[in-house]
Amino acid sequence: MTRSLLIIDKEKSYADALAAFIERRLFEVHIAATQDEIMVVMDHIAPEYIVSATNLPDFDVIGLLMGFKASMPMLRIVILTDPADRNDVMERMRGDAFGYLTKPVNSTELELVLDHARDWVHLQKKLNKYTNKLGDLHHANSLYQQLFDEVPCYISVQNRQFRITASNRMFNIHFGDGVGECCYEIYKHRNGPCTVCPVAETFEDGKQHSTEEIVVSKDGEQFHVLTWTAPIRDENGVITQVMEMSTNITLLRQLQNHLEFMGMMLGSMSHGVKGMLTALDGSIYQLETGLNRNDEKRTVNAFNTLKQVAERIKKMVLDILYYAKSRELDYQVSDIQEFALSICSTIEPAAEKRGVEFVSQIRESGPFDVDPNWFQSAIVNILENAVDACASDAQKSEHRVDFEVLADGESLIFKIQDNGIGMNTDYRNKIFRLFFSSKGSKGTGLGLFIANHVITQHGGNIHVESEPEQGTAFTVRIPRFRSSEKKDSEHYLRPWSKTDRRQ
Amino acid sequence: MPKKILVIDDDPNIADYLTTIFENNGYEVCSANDVNTGYEVAKAEKPDLVTLDLEMPTEWGPRFYRKLSQDDELKNIPVIVISALSGNQYAIQKAAATITKPFDRDELMKIVKDVLME
Repeated sequence: MTRSLLIIDKEKSYADALAAFIERRLFEVHIAATQDEIMVVMDHIAPEYIVSATNLPDFDVIGLLMGFKASMPMLRIVILTDPADRNDVMERMRGDAFGYLTKPVNSTELELVLDHARDWVHLQKKLNKYTNKLGDLHHANSLYQQLFDEVPCYISVQNRQFRITASNRMFNIHFGDGVGECCYEIYKHRNGPCTVCPVAETFEDGKQHSTEEIVVSKDGEQFHVLTWTAPIRDENGVITQVMEMSTNITLLRQLQNHLEFMGMMLGSMSHGVKGMLTALDGSIYQLETGLNRNDEKRTVNAFNTLKQVAERIKKMVLDILYYAKSRELDYQVSDIQEFALSICSTIEPAAEKRGVEFVSQIRESGPFDVDPNWFQSAIVNILENAVDACASDAQKSEHRVDFEVLADGESLIFKIQDNGIGMNTDYRNKIFRLFFSSKGSKGTGLGLFIANHVITQHGGNIHVESEPEQGTAFTVRIPRFRSSEKKDSEHYLRPWSKTDRRQ
Repeated sequence: MPKKILVIDDDPNIADYLTTIFENNGYEVCSANDVNTGYEVAKAEKPDLVTLDLEMPTEWGPRFYRKLSQDDELKNIPVIVISALSGNQYAIQKAAATITKPFDRDELMKIVKDVLME
């Protein structure tokens, strides 16, 4: 490859001799002695090197060269000066010249400077190339980092010890910055690796693996996740790390459970429904018989039975519909006194009708935050059970249901106590099960199941104490207000919202 | 002399219903709401036929059938199962007939008459 070089010198013979020498170094050499000549070469050839004398008549060659250097940074200029001028020139040009040689020029010295200049160009070009590459790389890197962060999955990269070496933003939001900690600690709060681990399998065989897991977020929320793993290999193809991507399918699972539950419920429900339909047939037949026989007593009895049966069917259908509709809680701040009094006014007449004394003590007032419809129906259900338990008890002459509302720190407590038939331990353990009923054909086995479900959904619990023939006490405890953590963690329900992105 | 039928069902409405049907068809009827009372009534009344529900709160229908079949005096009394349970025909295999709730009255009476060989 030839490189172009311009020699500037007012003495033609000197310039020619220099040119002859330099050409041997594989340079394409041009010579100029005047400003015009210089400009012609610069315009047409644009040489990479200039070897220039300083003492040209009529114009300021130094100024001209500095101008070239400013517009062409890769231009290398070697200055040839008389020893007397040397310092002045150097003072003026400083680093704009690649080298300063004194006339008469030592040929080896010139050769070395030119070699050096050539290497310098080479290095500069390399440097430029690398700088550009680095810029691209940086750009690509930040692009991938962005992709990594924005993927709406929990991504972690793990080494053979299941230590997390990188995690994306979604992961950090829900599980905290887990870098340096072990996967099983973060996801499962375990002390050792899980028995079945897709990451271990991928390390083993280099293939992708998937599992479905239940993991616990830093806020204690349970997520169902679908997990995929993929190997990360080094330049020799050895697996050094494994990437684990988990998609949150909690909502999907909730929906699926709900649907499965509905199916199961309708299946098991058919028994109760059939019994009730038979009773309906029966009471219509009784009514018909009464009318045919003109037997007023029978007719009235049949009519009352019919009403009762219709009421049972209505209740059951409502229970089913109640569970079938959306289970999202609709929290509202309500007044405790108002809420409790409304419950009392529902229960009191029913209790009175069945000869049960109903005593309420509302010891707390002020606001609380629940879904009033759901929560009220849960409490009413327990109270109705208490009244039923009294009404079915033939041993005691006086029956009473106590309803008490009080506060305990941040919790509200609803106590429901009766002196009815009570339950043995076996019954007590089953009462919240679906379709368990101690009332034979009168119960659907749904009431307490739903009550328990609603109270659990409110972050509360039910405690039951019971003694056969003595009575039963239900203690319902719920947080008075939703905890702020609960509110915060609700955003997991939205797959990838704007709030997440801002964090 | 009318034949006597014992009705066992925990739901009093359904027990009354069956009672009325049988009475209207000219039978003498006695009833019980659980297995133990049912057995006592059976011993006392010696019915010609028993209709038996399967699922009841304290003890289930099959228990009654076992007691009945272990009693020399009562073991030949035919039993008709009337229940809402699906697969109820397997609960008491030696039952004279099995009827699913809700039932058709005419069909019930036809089966009763068949079983009583009338």
